Amino acid sequence: MPTMTYLEAISDALREQLRADERVFVMGEDVSAFGGAFKVTDGFVEEFGEQRVIDTPLAEAAIIGTAVGAAVVGMRPVCEMQFADFVACGFDQLVNVAGKAHYRFGLAVPIVVRLPSGGGFSGGPFHSQNPEAWFMHAPGIKVLAPSIAEDAKGLLTAAIRDPNPVVFLEHKHLYRRVKGEVPPGIYETPMTARVAREGSDLTVIAYGAMVHAALEATEQLDASVEVLDLRSLVPLDEAAILASVAKTSKVLIVDEANETCAAGAQVAALIAERAFEQLDGPIRRVATPDVPIPFSPPLEQAVLPSVDRIRDACRDLLDY
Amino acid sequence: MPAETSSTTDVVMPQLGVSVVEGTVIRWLKQPGDHVDADEPICEVDTDKIVTDIPSPTTGTLTEILVNQGTTVEVGTVLARITSGSAGLRAGPVGSGRAHTGLAAGARASSPPPARSAEAADAGASHAPSPSMPVAGAYHSPVVQRLADERGVDLTGVVGTGRSGRVRKQDVLAAARASEDRPLHTESPYRPDGEARGQLSRMRRAIGAHMKRSLDTAATCTTWMEADMSRVEAARRGAKASSLLGVTPLPIVARAAMDALAEHPALNATLEGERYTRHDAVHLGVAVSLGEDGLIVPVIRDAHTLTVEQLGIAIRELARRARKQQLTPDEVTGGTFTVTNPGQFGSLMATPVINQPQVAILDLEAVVKRAIVIEDDDGNDVIEIRPQTILGLSWDHRALDGAQAAQFLGALRRRLESWNGRS
Amino acid sequence: METSSLRPAEARPVPAAPEDAAGAPAHLTTADRIELLRAMLLMRAIEARALALYRQGRVPGSFYDGFGQEAVSVGAAFALGPRDRLCPLHRDLGAHLVRGVAPARILAQYMGRASGVTGGRDGNVHFGDPASGVIGMVSMLPDMMCVATGMAMAFKLRGEPRVALTWFGDGATSRGDFHEAMNWAGVQRLPVVFVLENNQFAYSTPLSKQFAVDPVERARAYGFPGVTVDGNDVEAVFEAVLEARVRALAGEGPTLVEAVTMRMHGHAAHDDMRYVPPGLLAEWGERDPIERQQQRVAELGIDVDALRAAVDAEVEAAAAEASAAPMPDPADAVRGVFAEGEPVPLGDGRAPWSGFVEALS
Repeated sequence: MPTMTYLEAISDALREQLRADERVFVMGEDVSAFGGAFKVTDGFVEEFGEQRVIDTPLAEAAIIGTAVGAAVVGMRPVCEMQFADFVACGFDQLVNVAGKAHYRFGLAVPIVVRLPSGGGFSGGPFHSQNPEAWFMHAPGIKVLAPSIAEDAKGLLTAAIRDPNPVVFLEHKHLYRRVKGEVPPGIYETPMTARVAREGSDLTVIAYGAMVHAALEATEQLDASVEVLDLRSLVPLDEAAILASVAKTSKVLIVDEANETCAAGAQVAALIAERAFEQLDGPIRRVATPDVPIPFSPPLEQAVLPSVDRIRDACRDLLDY
Repeated sequence: MPAETSSTTDVVMPQLGVSVVEGTVIRWLKQPGDHVDADEPICEVDTDKIVTDIPSPTTGTLTEILVNQGTTVEVGTVLARITSGSAGLRAGPVGSGRAHTGLAAGARASSPPPARSAEAADAGASHAPSPSMPVAGAYHSPVVQRLADERGVDLTGVVGTGRSGRVRKQDVLAAARASEDRPLHTESPYRPDGEARGQLSRMRRAIGAHMKRSLDTAATCTTWMEADMSRVEAARRGAKASSLLGVTPLPIVARAAMDALAEHPALNATLEGERYTRHDAVHLGVAVSLGEDGLIVPVIRDAHTLTVEQLGIAIRELARRARKQQLTPDEVTGGTFTVTNPGQFGSLMATPVINQPQVAILDLEAVVKRAIVIEDDDGNDVIEIRPQTILGLSWDHRALDGAQAAQFLGALRRRLESWNGRS
Repeated sequence: METSSLRPAEARPVPAAPEDAAGAPAHLTTADRIELLRAMLLMRAIEARALALYRQGRVPGSFYDGFGQEAVSVGAAFALGPRDRLCPLHRDLGAHLVRGVAPARILAQYMGRASGVTGGRDGNVHFGDPASGVIGMVSMLPDMMCVATGMAMAFKLRGEPRVALTWFGDGATSRGDFHEAMNWAGVQRLPVVFVLENNQFAYSTPLSKQFAVDPVERARAYGFPGVTVDGNDVEAVFEAVLEARVRALAGEGPTLVEAVTMRMHGHAAHDDMRYVPPGLLAEWGERDPIERQQQRVAELGIDVDALRAAVDAEVEAAAAEASAAPMPDPADAVRGVFAEGEPVPLGDGRAPWSGFVEALS
């Protein structure tokens, strides 16, 4: 089985889908000749041509809006926001046009919006965001956030094949740092959670880059800690979350996104409501405080959930 | 610390005995808001050995009770707080989420609050429990309550290993498992209890549990031997009126038994699991009846060094203090051999239960006049009336065998039958 | 307040509809001209009926109509082929009618009934029947310009001889999506027709507060032509859009067609229009598009009254049918957020122009 980086896995998924389905095309800023700001589509225009790998004007609203148009007449556009942060410019098209079309008219809008997200490298306030909660909150939009290479490929494939608008969060920090075995050919990863490590004393729930932080933080704890990788935020794998909490009775939820109303807040509410009798301790969260992500390294490191912060919170909860 | 400023003093669960690791709060004698003087008793605790008062460490106002009645906590756990000085007037529950409510109040008053630092945000839940969350020590979480219900575990008897002695899920599960095969965790199967509860008193239940454990653990056998107590009775009758010897033959039998143990040291031993330890000293446990309240076995340390008179005095004193619940924890632990003497009611024989982790227990029953056959000086068999008693020895066949038991009893009988009044 | 907002339109000559040597419209048969009138009559009748129902409390929410603007939607829609795709707005009911949506379903839609086009999910003219190749609008204007541009992009990518068309108002041209769509369509030379419905007011905001340069002038800045047409002449509108369509199919890219008209009613039924100069309505009232087309059709010897009566009867029957239709099941409120399985493709609906019957494309 080939080993590749998280980024290569994403490219692989796109490539496979472009080859397999003529309805699929890629569009975004600088994706064609330049191969994309992160080189995800490097070499694509050479293989697939400019009709299927399209450089767009700098116009996030139109990128998403035109994707909607193309999708309703039978295509499968995969659009890229150069940074997740810029999806704010296309928020209206995504939430109001794409998200509501099926509910209102039964009109499916099969678009994928890829968002290179996350911080940790002095990207500053506009290149480090994790905006998934905005779209969890908008009806009609699916939200995926893989943490390992195998899932990155499988979930992107699933997203492209899904008849709904899908926001796909690719964590920039994982692009080249995470490698793994990735099955060749076409496969779909189900939109469910994954147990990254099994345990019995405590569950840490995370997604994206925080899965790796959670695994590292709990490796050497003298306790059996389960790490649950959500992978899919909408739909949220409630059954897996509740099963893990029933097993360990203690849960820590990690969000790299700003704390208030992050995905973890929804997970915490779900657990409090449906797993109250399983709990042997308060539901704890570790998240970035409600500040724009700062640029200077000591400031950024102070706000993003660190391995140490996660570990301390685990210890605290284990001792409770 | 200057007395003018207010200061807070913790009341902690004391270590009441060298081997004590935990204690149970039986009863609070003071409530939050009450004034307490230094040394005034503020609560009663039970350490599995004894019940005792905890005197207040300082003068002031009891502001917080952190461990409720019926809760077992580790030694050193803060049970309550006393505030001395001007500010000690706030009574009520533990710090009401300072990190949360303070922030919210400030925010509504003026501009939006600053985002909490990451550490403050994380720590908020653990260091300043919110008002809605009960104090850790007294709180049973939902899963703990549910599991306790499902498995029939009495939470008041469960030792908590969580923070502040909180009963955690693991503790309930362990208790549920242990109720089938719980190993002995105390030396003495007898312990006093200050509270009567339900049908069987707590003490009764504890005694029963410990007895059952002993029988389940040891391979208990009982050997009897009859002894002629003429000389012992003569010694008793001849004791001076002021002496404390006159009550029962127990001190004499105890003394004789310890001499016999010196010859047969295998019986002055403890067996804990696979670990078998012979002891040089005899720390003699003497069973004391507390009437309806049950039994307790105070231990006379280094009893082998005492004369019969001294033994008599010690036994009498221990019994008195036992009945007044004035024993210290170290007075009910560490025994190497136990003697029990319930014979005043006329019973002849019994099958005593071994006092774990010892390997033998000697039972002294009634002394009754009986017609026995003895040889006279001419070597002829004659019938005489003699005071007899049946000495019973329960012993653990894991550590001993019948021959040793019989030999010990024989040695004891010889001494009793040749008693000349000396220790 | 300005005395006349006609100045911008009058500054640019409004081309007349092309005619053949005999003076008849070059591309419209008699049947076409009758159909154009009929569609406009139907639009006005439905909207009048709906307004009455609204005032009777039987239409929830708010009520918008395109009174006086019927030519813009009917004329433009009439020029579109069966496989073309449309994004109408709230004053473009005529487009839905041209494509074949039944009046009963439209009135049920207004009244929030289960049989309405959206089954009660959205209200008034916020609908689009996928079976007729129409994408329903959102309230954020002009979002649909981007969607239409995207549809045109797909047609071009696939090399299909198809066009996308969207309507939007003068006010909507001020929002960013107007720029993004115009720019995108221009730089990619897409087969999209942008119909700017200049009805003089965006709610209470007159043109002079909306832009400093006429949008039709700005089309050139995006790289394609802008043309102005008399929005109250249904046949002129038809011709303008037809021409734009031909351009698009020839690979010449987008066209901005400004249809100059007047919003004769308020922004919505709750608007008393006090900001409109009184003379303006009277002026535009003289140029009612239906009356103009009626006149043309009558001159051809058609019994316009009979046509009108037939339309009225149709609308009455539709109103009765819609009024009897059940409200949606409350349990339905949470269903259908996500699609499952293969998407159902858009249908084509009607394309009644005679030119399409002859496979003109």
